[in-house]
Formats: sequence, structure tokens, C-alpha cells
Amino acid sequence: MDIISNLLIPIVNLDLLLLIAVGTFAGIYVGAIPGLSVTMAVSILISFTFSWEVYPALALMIGIYMGGVYGGSRTAILLNIPGAPSAIATALDGFPMAQQGRAGEAIGIVTVVSFIGGFLGIIALALFAPFLSDFAIGFQPRDFMLLAIMGILLVGSLSGDSLVKGVFAGALGIGIGAVGMDPLTVQDRFVFGIPDLRGGISFVAVMIGLFGVSETLAQLHSIHTPAVRQKITNIVPSWAKVRKHLPLGLQTSTIGTVVGALPGTGGDIAALMAYDHAQRVTRNPEVPFGKGAIEGLVAPETANNAAVGGAFIPMMTLGIPGDAVTAIMIGALFIHGLNPGPMLMIEQPDMFWFIVSSLTLANIFMLIFGLTGIRLFVRIVELPRTVLLPVIMVLSIVGAYAINNSVTDVYWMLGFGVLGYFMRLYGYPLAPIILGVILSRLLDDNWRRAIISERDDFGAMMMGIFTSPLSLSLFLAVVLIVATSTPWWKRWRARKAGVVASQGQKP
Amino acid sequence: MTPTQPPAPAAVDPIPEPAPGRRPGELVFNIAILLASLFLLYSAYGISGFEALSAPGAVPMATTAIMSVCAIIILRDSLRKRSDTAQTVGRDILPLSVIVTIAMIAGYALALRPLGFLPTSVLFLLIMARFLSKRSWGFCLAVSVGTVLVIWIIFRLIFSVLMPQGIVPEGRIISAISSLF
Repeated sequence: MDIISNLLIPIVNLDLLLLIAVGTFAGIYVGAIPGLSVTMAVSILISFTFSWEVYPALALMIGIYMGGVYGGSRTAILLNIPGAPSAIATALDGFPMAQQGRAGEAIGIVTVVSFIGGFLGIIALALFAPFLSDFAIGFQPRDFMLLAIMGILLVGSLSGDSLVKGVFAGALGIGIGAVGMDPLTVQDRFVFGIPDLRGGISFVAVMIGLFGVSETLAQLHSIHTPAVRQKITNIVPSWAKVRKHLPLGLQTSTIGTVVGALPGTGGDIAALMAYDHAQRVTRNPEVPFGKGAIEGLVAPETANNAAVGGAFIPMMTLGIPGDAVTAIMIGALFIHGLNPGPMLMIEQPDMFWFIVSSLTLANIFMLIFGLTGIRLFVRIVELPRTVLLPVIMVLSIVGAYAINNSVTDVYWMLGFGVLGYFMRLYGYPLAPIILGVILSRLLDDNWRRAIISERDDFGAMMMGIFTSPLSLSLFLAVVLIVATSTPWWKRWRARKAGVVASQGQKP
Repeated sequence: MTPTQPPAPAAVDPIPEPAPGRRPGELVFNIAILLASLFLLYSAYGISGFEALSAPGAVPMATTAIMSVCAIIILRDSLRKRSDTAQTVGRDILPLSVIVTIAMIAGYALALRPLGFLPTSVLFLLIMARFLSKRSWGFCLAVSVGTVLVIWIIFRLIFSVLMPQGIVPEGRIISAISSLF
């Protein structure tokens, strides 16, 4: 009974419903415009919604998140420029369809399958998270530590040039998170005698710098790329077409949910894995992949929206973010004095069901806006970026300033913006930094708890890991992630593939 | 060419290949990263040294040690790559627009307290829009004043974010407007 009344919170409160609608609408825009990302929008919004209650702030962010993941497909189809990282795979078949004059058909099918994927992800969240949180109560500190390491490694190995750059970025993030007074011993860490640093670096400034400023600086390179117009008709897809692709959509939604639920990895990686899966299982596509195959749209778009619900699973049950956006939301909850993790699920179940219900509403709004507001959304993409980028910069500066009313935070934002800009240019992934910053405290606390309970005996702690099935599987996962990213492993795989190929050629 | 042809090829490769050549400045950046990592490692050692595994400096030392090892491997890899002669620092790494923008943001931060939010933002947007779009001053002024007004209204009314007033007496303006109704 409680669950139902909690689920109804955003429906009966008109202001919350409106915020979700506005958020979803804005999210589609944010996702569609190259250079505006959901991570950027949500990190700026943390600061602006600082004075709000938790629910309205979450409602707006959830709407933006859901809408933004979907919105990226618009520009991928129409301009061949993915509006968001999660739409990279969508451009592969979406843009060829637009070239053949089938942009409306492509957008229609993408909208419907995004809704289906999003819905399945939310169902998975509602079903599995409560069980997982009961289970998570029994997690030892060492398990949380291993999970945090696993998340940072996972996102580090799957994004960017190489695992080494990803690990570097993750370690840098943990380091940034450690700056300031150690909460346990009151000892200064990385303070360098600067009193301002004792309170730590504001993570909002770090995030706005990394995702807002560095992105706008990078966009300056392509500021004069013109937009193209295309007439769009015939958008609502027939039920027969949707049904035909439903089996594939169910498979790729599952991939999306699982990838989303893994700590660290989100919609961008889910979409690429789903596209790869679709290529392998589709025997006879009507149109080849890369030339406008509908399967090539269904797979990434179901997966990236399914990953949204999936990403909330570790966030709500363990306090470990499923992707960069949920990492920022954890930060937002911290600011509102909440501590996401197994205890939050038990002490405040209303929060969990509110999130489930808000996600569902955002998903429905996404379907409605996606199918009706199409002309409007095409127009916005043509907004001159020479004006848009400076406006984003002003919003970033205000966002960084307003969180503590401090100009120092603006300098931090600029510093991390410039650092992030160079890291982007030279192939370093940025998402592990954010994950590191958010998980730094959790990692440090749990490491110390784990090692203190073994009286500073590292061997005893490893013994504990090897004798607990859960700890052992997490440990093996960490080892596997590292091992599969080494050049030796790749060489071994290549040699094995070579042997199989040469055996296959023999009569 | 039909009118729906692509404006520019975009990066849509599902698995981005590592850049074959070394980009300009990459070596310098990676050396700077290594030096910074080593410095941070030294600083982390200063927190509590090798006192205990549960000491406050243990995790910082581990992370900065990992950073240093990674930076060495990254530097080695970038030394192995041949430098990409087709790219230049001025065009592909630090074009004028990026430098100007960084300087403008720093200038904004400096002027925010003394001048206040409204004049600083109008000036910033005016100069940036003029510099990037090369449209007429009148157009840029209209766009910047209009945008700042919209942002200000949204901030004050919806988000209740307070920005520095500076030289504009915002409080008096608001009370003057509200006294009209």
C-alpha cells in the first residue's frame, strides 16, 4: 500500500508532474544539441536547485536524464553528428536512412523503441533493486571497496584510447576527492598550505569544468559547421513494424539494463554493445548494416534508454553510481544531506519509489514529445552555436559560483575545464574522473574499515577476500577487467582467432 | 548532391581507433602529467608516510603511485608514436578562439564581484558573440542583453540564486517594479 502511495507522489503533485515534463522536454533539446550533454546540464542544475526540496530537484534531473539520452538520436539521424555520446551507434544507420529521405520513419521507430527500452529498464529497477538492497546489507567494507575499484576500472577500460589512460583518470579523480581535511584523523591531505583547500575542492566546480567548460572549448573547433534542413513526414511507425523488431529490442534492452547496472558504465557503452549484438544475431537484414538497417536503430536506442533504469540500481542499492549522470545525482543527494546506499533504501523507501515513478512518467513524456514536437526539435538544432556556446559558458560560471558564493570555485571550474579540454584532445576519458571523485570517500573509508578490522594485516584481508564467495567474485572481476585490457591478452586472442580461421579454411 | 547531403563527416566509428600519429603538444602534456603525478606522490608520502596501511595517507599514496606508473606507460607509448605532421598547435590544439575564451572566462571571474552579475554577463556575451559570430554590434548587443535578462529572471524567480549585485542596484529596481503593481 505504501508503495502505491509513494508511486503516486509525482502524479498527484502537479508541480512535480510539471517539472518532470519540463525536464524531459528540456532534456530532449539538451540531448539533441551537439555540445550540450546531460552530464553538463545535470551538474549545472545541482547548483541551481540547491535551495529546492529534494523531490522537485530530482524530478527535474530525472526528466532531463531520460529525455537527453533519447534526444541525442535526433542529430545523429538528421546531421550525422551524435548529439550525445549514447547516440554514436544510432548515426551509423540513422543518417543513411535520412539520406534516403526516410528521416521521419527513422525518428518514429527510434522514439517508440526508446520508450520500450526505457520502460524495461525501469521495470528491472523496480524488481531487482529492493532484493539487491536486502542483499547489500550484508556487504563487507572490502566488498564496497572492490565494487568501487571495479566501477572505475570498467568505465576506464571501455572508454577512451586505453585502459592505462582510463586508470590514470580514475586515480586522478580519487586524488581530487581526497583533497582537504581527512574526516577521520583531521589531517590535511594535498592542501599545500592553502587554507581554502582544507574544505576540499567543490565537486560541482570539478564537474562543470570537466563536462561544461571543456566541452564548449572543444566545440569551438567546429563552430561554423552548418545545419541542414529536412522535411519530415510519416513519423508514427506501424505496429507491425514495431512488433517485427520487438524480439531484438527485448534482447538489446536486457543488454542495456545490465550494462547500465554495472557500476560506472552507462548508455554510451550499452548502445555500442547492443549494436554489435544486433549485427551478430540479425541473419538477413532487409537493408545491410550501415546503409540504413532498422535493426541498427532498434538495438542502440533500446539499450541506451534501458541503461537509464539500470544505472539507478547500483546507485540506489549500493551508493555506487551506474554512470556519470547517476554519479552527479549521488552528489546532489549528498548536498541535500542524504547518503545513498543500502540504508537509504530501507530508511526512505519513498525516495526509491518516487524515482521509479518519475522515471516512468519521464519515459511517457518522452514518447509524447518525441512523436508530436518534431518540427520544433528540428528548428532548435539550427540555433546559432556562436551565440549558444557563450550562453552555456555564462550558465557554467554562474553554476560554479552559486554553489558556495565563491569566485574561487569559478577558477577551479576554469582550471578543470582547461585540463579536461587537453585530456579530451589527447584521448583520456573524463568519466572515470567523476566516478573517482564521487567514490573517493567511499573507497577510502571502506579500505580503512576493512584493513583496521584485520588489524592492519594485508594478508589477513586477502584471506578474507578469498574465503567469501562474494568478495572473491568481485576480486576476480577486477582481475579480469585488468587482464583483458592488457596487450598480452589481445595478442593471445588474435593468435587464437588466427588459428580458428586457418583451421576453418582447411577442407 | 542532394540537399540532404552531410554537412561534414562526423566521428561515428563505433570503436574509436587510437590516433595513429602523435598530436602536437601530446608529448609536452604527457610529460607535464608525469611530473604532476610524481609531485603529488611526494606530497601524498608527506601525509603519513609508510606509517600504517590504515593511515590517512595510504589511499592517496596508492592512487598517486598508480597515476605515476600510468603516466610513465602513457609517455612511453606516446614516444613510440610518430608525430603527426599534418596537425599544428595553432589550428588543431590551441586555436585563437579557445585561448580567447579561456581568457574571457578568467576575466569574467575577476570582474564578477566588483561589477556585478548583470554588467559582467552582458559584456561577456557581447564580446564573445561578436568575436565568434562576426555579426553586427547591434545584433550582438540585442542578443546579449536579451539573454542575460532571461537568465536573470529565471535565476531570481525559479531557482532563487543570488548573484553579486555590483554596481547595479537590483534590489531597488525590483522594489520599484513591484511598487508599480
